[in-house]
Amino acid sequence: MKAVIDWLDDRSGFRTLIKEALYEKVPGGARWRYVWGSCLTFAFFAQVVTGTLLWMFYSPSTQTAWESVYFLQYHVWGGWFLRGIHHYMAQAMVVLLVLHLMQVVIDGAYKAPRELNFWFGIALMGVTLGLSLTGYLLPWDQKGYWATAVATNLIAEVPLVGVYLQKLVIGGTEYGHHTVTRFFALHAGVLPSALIALVVGHIYLFRRHGIHAKEPRPKRDSYFWPDQVLKDAVACLAVALAVIVLTIYFHGAPLGPPADPANEFPARPEWYFLFLFQLLKYVPAFWGAIIIPAFVVLLMFAQPFIGKSEKGHRFNIGFLWCLLIGAGALTFLAFSEDRANKKHFAAVEEADWLSKRVVEIADKQGIPPSGAVTLLREDHENRARRLFSSNCASCHLYNGHDGRGFPVDSNQSAPDLAGVASREWLEELLDYDHYVSTKYFGGTAFKDGKMATKVLKKFDEKEKALVPKVAALLSDIAGLPYQKPLSEKDKEEGFDVFFDDLVCIDCHDIEDEGEGSAPDLTGYGSRDWLTAIVGDPSHERFYGKDNDRMPSFARDEKLTDEEIGILVDWLRSKPSTNSEVR
Amino acid sequence: MSKPKDSTDDGDRRAFITKATVGVSAACSVFPFAAGVPAFLDPVSGNGDNVDEVPWSKVAPLSALPEDGTPTRFGIVRERVTDAWTTLTNVPVGAVYIIKLGEKVKAFNLKCPHLGCAIDHRSDRSDFFCPCHNSSFSLDGSVSDDASPSPRGMDGLETKIEDGFVYVRFQQFRPNLADKVPLT
Repeated sequence: MKAVIDWLDDRSGFRTLIKEALYEKVPGGARWRYVWGSCLTFAFFAQVVTGTLLWMFYSPSTQTAWESVYFLQYHVWGGWFLRGIHHYMAQAMVVLLVLHLMQVVIDGAYKAPRELNFWFGIALMGVTLGLSLTGYLLPWDQKGYWATAVATNLIAEVPLVGVYLQKLVIGGTEYGHHTVTRFFALHAGVLPSALIALVVGHIYLFRRHGIHAKEPRPKRDSYFWPDQVLKDAVACLAVALAVIVLTIYFHGAPLGPPADPANEFPARPEWYFLFLFQLLKYVPAFWGAIIIPAFVVLLMFAQPFIGKSEKGHRFNIGFLWCLLIGAGALTFLAFSEDRANKKHFAAVEEADWLSKRVVEIADKQGIPPSGAVTLLREDHENRARRLFSSNCASCHLYNGHDGRGFPVDSNQSAPDLAGVASREWLEELLDYDHYVSTKYFGGTAFKDGKMATKVLKKFDEKEKALVPKVAALLSDIAGLPYQKPLSEKDKEEGFDVFFDDLVCIDCHDIEDEGEGSAPDLTGYGSRDWLTAIVGDPSHERFYGKDNDRMPSFARDEKLTDEEIGILVDWLRSKPSTNSEVR
Repeated sequence: MSKPKDSTDDGDRRAFITKATVGVSAACSVFPFAAGVPAFLDPVSGNGDNVDEVPWSKVAPLSALPEDGTPTRFGIVRERVTDAWTTLTNVPVGAVYIIKLGEKVKAFNLKCPHLGCAIDHRSDRSDFFCPCHNSSFSLDGSVSDDASPSPRGMDGLETKIEDGFVYVRFQQFRPNLADKVPLT
């Protein structure tokens, strides 16, 4: 064995190389404050390894990017873990970058003769942020798509060449296949190569000038190996453990619903870019994305010269603290504004629902070659929520929201339709106080109609006690998929109340009996009945000329029969309570 | 290096530091690889194996086959194929030779059992011949020449005839084995 190693050493001289690498002098002894550079190198190494492994699963195109990530996340053994490590290590890198930069500036390690190396460091920071930005788009989910679109729109702000630069980056004028292929080439090829080249230069220059010892020196000088290496390795291990904990705690990296240019999404960048996002609310894009960052970077490049005097050094430290505190404050503002924004909250909730929904459908029926986004576009529940939101929610609510979970700006004027025709819904409706409340008919002409003023208001206690029986009967006629049918006895009782005790039959027909003028309750709440009333509420069978503002969706061709069917099926399904917005 | 003499405590300490450093560094180096080992090994984990029964594929009407037993080549189209994340419908998945023998049919996978090249039918010699490594097979599928490198005859497939149509259970087998072992 020794002979082989001797031979290798003779031919390569690797012992000298190792010796040189390991027996670097550490003036003042090994210290924890020197670990950040090693941690960053380790983090980058981990990103290269996990990134290459991810590469084995990733397929860069608009119809396969999300899909391949979905497959890795949900169907490959340990795929979620691999992706999670890569995702959270990227975030750790940003934190480590800041720590490294602060340590270097506070310790004065950026001053002559280390100016050049400080600039290498700034360039490395830029490349790392570029890697974060390009990586964010690759899963091609709504979040990455909409947030990155903002970033690439900012490229156009670059003077003179901005528009061309933007086209070059996104591979055309619109996001498409070439955006994914280019971002992938940048993320997995161009930027890592640049980073490796810069790191080599950075470490070479670092070795050339040696460690800049922070005074006072606590101990006598020692060597890189093993004292400092141990501290470095322990710090790296701590980073790795933190990343593992984050990955397990959040069960890997998030994957939003597949990118859909036709459906809005609350675009937010990754948390460490939020300060820039927030800044753009206050200043014009050109200032926020070009002038201010350019000024900051230029000033950082000048720091080694500013730092020549003690005052300048203190300015440099103060400047970076201000930058950090400013970015921190902007980040805080961004978070708290979002938290106070009910619409944003609803949009995030909806995105969560959509991402679960699409996975549910994809697991069950597979993804067609046209991509997963078509699964959501064709999904009846998703379509129903959207149809309700755009066609019904200007008057009706659904569990207090617009059907998709968003709060509604204007006042509700027609009944809340969550659980329509269910027993509970009918019992409330047939209670006078509820009937005239905005949750039911309070916003309509029916508030002062015969049913309200002449019937429900006049009910005595005995009559009120009979209302649940009618509610049960009508709900049974509706035959909602989530309600149990009535027994024959209860049904008979219900009819007795309908005909004899409360004499509803005076105005409302039921099971084709009666000649009343109020809405015909034959087949009440059934698919056919609801389809018919949505289609034409002004029909004699329903409100006739008493109809209060409700459009005739089928008669006037506002919705197709298929769309009305999808809506009605959804209204007849069990209302979900989790998306209730207060 | 200024190593104090005769201080075994210090020597122990240094030995411990060296061991700890090697250990922790090794753990750090292994970590990113370890994070991807399960995903990397997924293809051999049995996770993606096809455990469904081989479906019947409708191939051709019986009347389309020559009465004299000349092999005819047909493509196999499967109704539903899952390729990783994509589910495809009506996809060509391979081809077969079908031979009519009276009221029965025989079907052979087009792929050579040697190393998977496509086998030709040579009508002038009334046999099958693989143009890659020169295996030849007679019309009943058996190896017809001792010099053929193929370790087994052509892969016969299960067939049935229903309502005048030929159906085949199309599947692949592991190449270069004397026995026919289905690929899962």
